[in-house]
Amino acid sequence: MNQNQQLYEKKTKKRKLAAFSELISINLGWGASLAIGLILLLSAAGNGFAMNGTLLFALIYLVSAAIIFAVAAMMKKEILSENQLSKRVRSLGYICILMLATGNIFAAIGGFQLIRKYRPIEYTMAYFAFIANAVIILLSTINMFKQYVANLFSVGMILLFVFLVFYAFAMVMIQKHGETSYRRLKLTAVISLVCAASGNIFALLLGLIILTKIRNEGSHKTVGWIDVVSRMFRNYMAAMGVLIVGVLLMLALCSYFTFDYAYAIDNDYSAIVLQPSMEYPFGTDAYGRCVYTRIAFGSRISLIIGMISTAIPIVIGGVLGAVAGYYSERTDNVVMRALDVLYAVPSTLLTIAIVAAFGASTMNLIIALSISNIPVYARTMRAQVMVVGNSEFVEAARACGRRKHEILFQHIIPNSLAPMIVRASLSIGVAVLSTSSLSYLGLGVEPHIPEWGSILKGGSQYLETNPYLAIFPGLAIILVVLAFNFIGDGLRDALDPKLK
Amino acid sequence: MLNIVRKSFQKIYGHPVNRYLVLLLGCLFFLPALAIYFSRRKNDGYHLQADAIRQSLTADGTAKRLQEEIRQQVEKKYTFFNKNKNSAEMKKEEDRIFTVRMKEMVEYRMRREHPQLRELSFYSVVDELLSTNGGMGAFIVLGFPAFLLLLILSNSYIKYIFDRVLMMLFVVFGVTFLVFTILYISPMDAAVNVLGDMATPDQVEQFRVAYGLDQPYFVQLLEEFKGLITFDLGQSFIGGEDVFTSLMNRFPITLELTIMTLILAVAIAIPSGIISALKPYSALDYVIMLIALLGLSIPGFWFGLLLILNLSIKVQLLPATFVAGSWTSFIMPSIVLGTGLAASTARMTRSSMLEIIKSDYIVTARAKGLPKSKVIFRHALGNAMIPIVTVIGIQFGSMLGGAAVTEKVFNVNGIGSYIVDKQFIPDTPVVIAGVVYVAIVVSLANLFVDILYAFLDPRIKAKLKSY
Repeated sequence: MNQNQQLYEKKTKKRKLAAFSELISINLGWGASLAIGLILLLSAAGNGFAMNGTLLFALIYLVSAAIIFAVAAMMKKEILSENQLSKRVRSLGYICILMLATGNIFAAIGGFQLIRKYRPIEYTMAYFAFIANAVIILLSTINMFKQYVANLFSVGMILLFVFLVFYAFAMVMIQKHGETSYRRLKLTAVISLVCAASGNIFALLLGLIILTKIRNEGSHKTVGWIDVVSRMFRNYMAAMGVLIVGVLLMLALCSYFTFDYAYAIDNDYSAIVLQPSMEYPFGTDAYGRCVYTRIAFGSRISLIIGMISTAIPIVIGGVLGAVAGYYSERTDNVVMRALDVLYAVPSTLLTIAIVAAFGASTMNLIIALSISNIPVYARTMRAQVMVVGNSEFVEAARACGRRKHEILFQHIIPNSLAPMIVRASLSIGVAVLSTSSLSYLGLGVEPHIPEWGSILKGGSQYLETNPYLAIFPGLAIILVVLAFNFIGDGLRDALDPKLK
Repeated sequence: MLNIVRKSFQKIYGHPVNRYLVLLLGCLFFLPALAIYFSRRKNDGYHLQADAIRQSLTADGTAKRLQEEIRQQVEKKYTFFNKNKNSAEMKKEEDRIFTVRMKEMVEYRMRREHPQLRELSFYSVVDELLSTNGGMGAFIVLGFPAFLLLLILSNSYIKYIFDRVLMMLFVVFGVTFLVFTILYISPMDAAVNVLGDMATPDQVEQFRVAYGLDQPYFVQLLEEFKGLITFDLGQSFIGGEDVFTSLMNRFPITLELTIMTLILAVAIAIPSGIISALKPYSALDYVIMLIALLGLSIPGFWFGLLLILNLSIKVQLLPATFVAGSWTSFIMPSIVLGTGLAASTARMTRSSMLEIIKSDYIVTARAKGLPKSKVIFRHALGNAMIPIVTVIGIQFGSMLGGAAVTEKVFNVNGIGSYIVDKQFIPDTPVVIAGVVYVAIVVSLANLFVDILYAFLDPRIKAKLKSY
């Protein structure tokens, strides 16, 4: 009896705590801060605890972890005793938000969730836009320690700060009008769309969501894509993935203003293979180029290659697969047997063969990656079209006398896209990986263009003496690929009709 | 056994492609059979009666009425869908329907008026021939290739494997064509690359003639196909070594590496996937899945460099480069190569295990009081293995290709690094032979997986039986 009661109490406790998603985010906040702090401490230990930036950051993150842990403990106590959070505890979230100044995005996400009880998708978008913008400001600030900055640096920084203030303002507006007078948010949405020009996808989504909701006001149906977005951002890992990709996208655009391309490509023989310092955060390579700036600019080329070499095979493979799956068995046989030839050669080998034959350049790389990806998309699309093609609504369309190609392109393909989207988000990551391994073999982009794989290849020659030259670009690659994998997993769950 | 051949012929006759293949292979037997068919058809009772009925139908105006009726129907349909009337398309549709209805009518009358008559077809003639000992003997002697084919196609398993092998042959020729074409239109000139910039035009020309590079495209392609059939893969441009021998020298190294990787990856991935699935959404599950995702995201060569840095340079535990015959130098390449495989296998194991555990028959087994371990290992694991085997099969192929990069990092003398080295020249015979070899191994691996399916999954077994 007693044991049953204990079990019951434990379960109620668990259920009470699980109802507050902000508690989960805060818990992840201190966990991640602790992990980052410990990793930094370990790498500082390698240097014999000399007082440098690494140790300083390690201490900052460990202290942050302790503070957030204390906040989490207070939240837990209050939830268990009163089943709600008081204003006093919620205001502790602002301390967590302040930790964003040290680059702690985990703490900031927890903090933003804690300060508000009512958190619609618009609010989530606004604070993600805020965080992405703040991260870009932090990354750009590091350039101030250099001898000179880009011409447009001050303009860029001022603009970024203006955007930052706007996102904070948008959060207040959403809080004020979100439930009562939704139409008043129209101006916020338009300004937010303007801010999206900085490459901030969250600002773009924020504007689009508000405008769509205003247009559909009155009719009580939910808009499909907004539903998918809000389900996606309920998944912490998927949201993290979108945040990382969003920051990189912003970096790719904002680096025009706040980063100096000269540091990335001009040789400086007075600064060859330097240790990391404030001026060169990740050191310099064999030609005296700043590795930090090179990695920042590398995001541009990696994202471009990843996205284009995913978009091309989606279109070609998708159409081929749809045609094979929908039309006669003979068409199916011809198309799929031809693609089997491509499929039989492992994609890495095929890419190597094509790039080596036509010379290493960005264009050839994109073509090679695209061709070797076609069969995978064709197979995915074919399987999906075969399933959808047997459903009732297709039968209905046929009974109404629609033509075969109309049914295929207007009814079947739009309903078969979900697995393609999931696969696409995963394969951008794979494309980044393949590009870097080809660059390592000397088959990637042109050598002077800063690309993560070629930066890594350059750094790997100093593996024994200066391993950080190879470690940092590798970490960048992992981070991006991981982010796309998170997004892929999140999309799979968000698009799953069973979970709706 | 002879009865099997007869049955097999009945089955094959309904299949569009295989039918022509059998007829072609056994044409020495089937041509006389065709002659018998035509001679018999001339005074066959069924045909004579059917013609008589058809004539009577035309004579008493039934055919005309039918045609008019169909015309009205089709016209109504076209009006309803707002389509162009009086078009050629409409006329065609009318004729089509008329022919079908006419045939149905004749057949119906035939069944009622002459139920004892059977329609004489080429198939029935051949079947009758094959039912006699003499006919079968003639078939074995005259149409031996067709006989062999029918024997092969009679067993669904053998037929399945036979079809797959045929497809594999097609893929091998396709891959040769693809790689050769890529190298042919490539702007790189093998002659200049081999001889160096200092070579005179005469020397270059001599080289091209010696290796047949001056021939037109189709002649060279045919040469490649001929070499493929005769297993003569030619000699490499540099060093003039026999390509087949050097491939076979490197083959055991790559195979050893791949198999060791496979064992290592599966031994780690499947248990951790099962543990994850048994305690879903626990801390352990999250940690295992995060590690798996990291394994998918890590660039292989970078991971290799890190391992070399930490285990060879800093600690000097394992050799940094591959040494033939020492198994310790296999460990690091296997770990690097197996990371992706282990990661995707673990993720697949978790999701397929989760799905199976939720199914009704597992709940029933638990409810009847079977211990959990028995339920998992006896009932769930077998069914959960099916998608896992697929993933391993697919990954095995990409592992062979991806091995190229890993082999470069650890200086392994395998096939992958061999192809990459020769690619830059381009040493056409070596590159084609290497890629074709990899394609064959990949196809064989896929075939093996598909056959394995038939033994793992009774549903697929049932499907194969009616193949």
